[in-house]
Amino acid sequence: MELTKNITLGVYLPGRSFIHNLDPRTKILAAAGIIVLLLFTRSYSAFALSAIFIGALVSLSGIPTGYALRGLKPMLPVLAIMWVFQLFLFKTPDATVYFHWWIFEATDAGLHMGNLIILRVLFLFTVTTFLTLTTSVVSLTDGLESLLKPLRMIGLPSQELVMTLVIALRFVLILAEELEKIIKAQMARGVAFDRGNFIQKTRKIFPVFLPLFIGAFKRAEELIVAMDARSYTGGKGRTKMKTLHMGRADFMAALILLAYGGLLIFIIISTKPMI
Amino acid sequence: MPIEVINLSHSYKEGTPFEKQVLFDINLSIGAGEFVGIIGPTRSGKTTLAQHLNALHIPRQGKVLIDGLDTKDKQADLVSIRHRVGYVFQNPDYQLFAPTVGEDIAFGPFNMKLPREEIEDRVRKAMAQVGLDYKTLYNRDIFALSGGQKRRAAIAGVLACKPQVLVLDDVTAGLDPRGREEILTLIRELHRRQNITIIFISNSMDEVASMAERIIVINEGRVIMDDATREVFARIEELRSIGLQLPEVTVLIDKLRSAGFNLPAGALNVNEAIRVITAALREMEARK
Repeated sequence: MELTKNITLGVYLPGRSFIHNLDPRTKILAAAGIIVLLLFTRSYSAFALSAIFIGALVSLSGIPTGYALRGLKPMLPVLAIMWVFQLFLFKTPDATVYFHWWIFEATDAGLHMGNLIILRVLFLFTVTTFLTLTTSVVSLTDGLESLLKPLRMIGLPSQELVMTLVIALRFVLILAEELEKIIKAQMARGVAFDRGNFIQKTRKIFPVFLPLFIGAFKRAEELIVAMDARSYTGGKGRTKMKTLHMGRADFMAALILLAYGGLLIFIIISTKPMI
Repeated sequence: MPIEVINLSHSYKEGTPFEKQVLFDINLSIGAGEFVGIIGPTRSGKTTLAQHLNALHIPRQGKVLIDGLDTKDKQADLVSIRHRVGYVFQNPDYQLFAPTVGEDIAFGPFNMKLPREEIEDRVRKAMAQVGLDYKTLYNRDIFALSGGQKRRAAIAGVLACKPQVLVLDDVTAGLDPRGREEILTLIRELHRRQNITIIFISNSMDEVASMAERIIVINEGRVIMDDATREVFARIEELRSIGLQLPEVTVLIDKLRSAGFNLPAGALNVNEAIRVITAALREMEARK
């Protein structure tokens, strides 16, 4: 019984690769850029290019590919359900019907729509996970803060926003650990979480959530006290121990990304979309 | 109900870059009715080992036999194993999850699918055993309990399953002296009166020394000692070298011995210490 094993979002895997050493701002902007491009990607060949590019990044970072993808494992059942829904419910007037069942029809349009959505989710998840795997929480915070600084002028509390985001990211793992403990406590008194089929397992999950939420609120309160105790007053007047610097590596990374972006846009324009 | 641990190894986060082996080739056998203490520095693998003993962890390498049943066996009835080997967690907050005390204690028997009256009966008895007042506390909100009451409720929830073996993971941590003494007395009684096998994990050497008949010392995932309590606490230097504190009486007697008093080593509790010290004083007086 180990839940945290399959959680990779928000986990930082220290390393010394080219990607680890990039300025966090470069990485955040790059991830944002790649994600925006993904939203416009509608053809299989463009997805193939993205897969090759992201695969190359992962191998460059030295993070085991299996580990980078491990976080997808718990999501697979949900993705499968999404795919089935698209397959049977999405239709276009000129779509070819594969087969009928009662009032449902599986069409080629549905198939491609299902594939498109799943590919997008997979890529979104992998890119964000890859960002947190190669960037420590501290530099992620610094990077985001520095990027959002201009928005302070229009009154956006950028530092507070980033703080909230980073805490949320951290809590993913903390809540998973908490969940594991609660499940163990219930298992110890006779709930068989590790037995039964998918539906039976899902039903057993519900009684776990009440204590999980109560625990989360308690944790949040403790965190507030801890922050207060160290005189946290928000972003105003805060200085940094480490200042960020963009260097040659960041320039190179930007060039590589531009090349990728250009090629991807070219492929998106010139190939037939899947739907 | 005997428990047998054979060549057990365990790693956390297996197959990830964070993989860490915490147990190395453990071999143990615990017989019915024993009172075993497990000690070791923090992060030595005590809890991980203990959670193998009621199939909360299923071994990947090696095996655990509980009453002859292999926990690895896909057909084994793990639910019944977990009811027969009760586990009280280190932190009661992780164990108590129902809204009220009564509901929480009834959780185990409810999962055993017992008839309603039987469940009620078991809850009442379990509460009486741990000294929680049935009338006032049955409907009490779990979060309104004090630390000591939470511990009791946690133990009651496990006792309501009528276990034959009880694994107690540092259950006196954070209690005041009186609460601690009451819990320890309860554990002694369970062992003596109902002949429940007790596996007692603790960071307090004083407690282990005065309670357990046999002690297993774990360090860095390996069993380094497994012997009668007296024999284990006689190996003072070894215990010190892995960072364990010794029972205070043992330290006292050790100091007196090195100051030149003629005392037998290895007193485990205050009463024994008093006996050997008075005996030594009488002898000295007689010599004068």
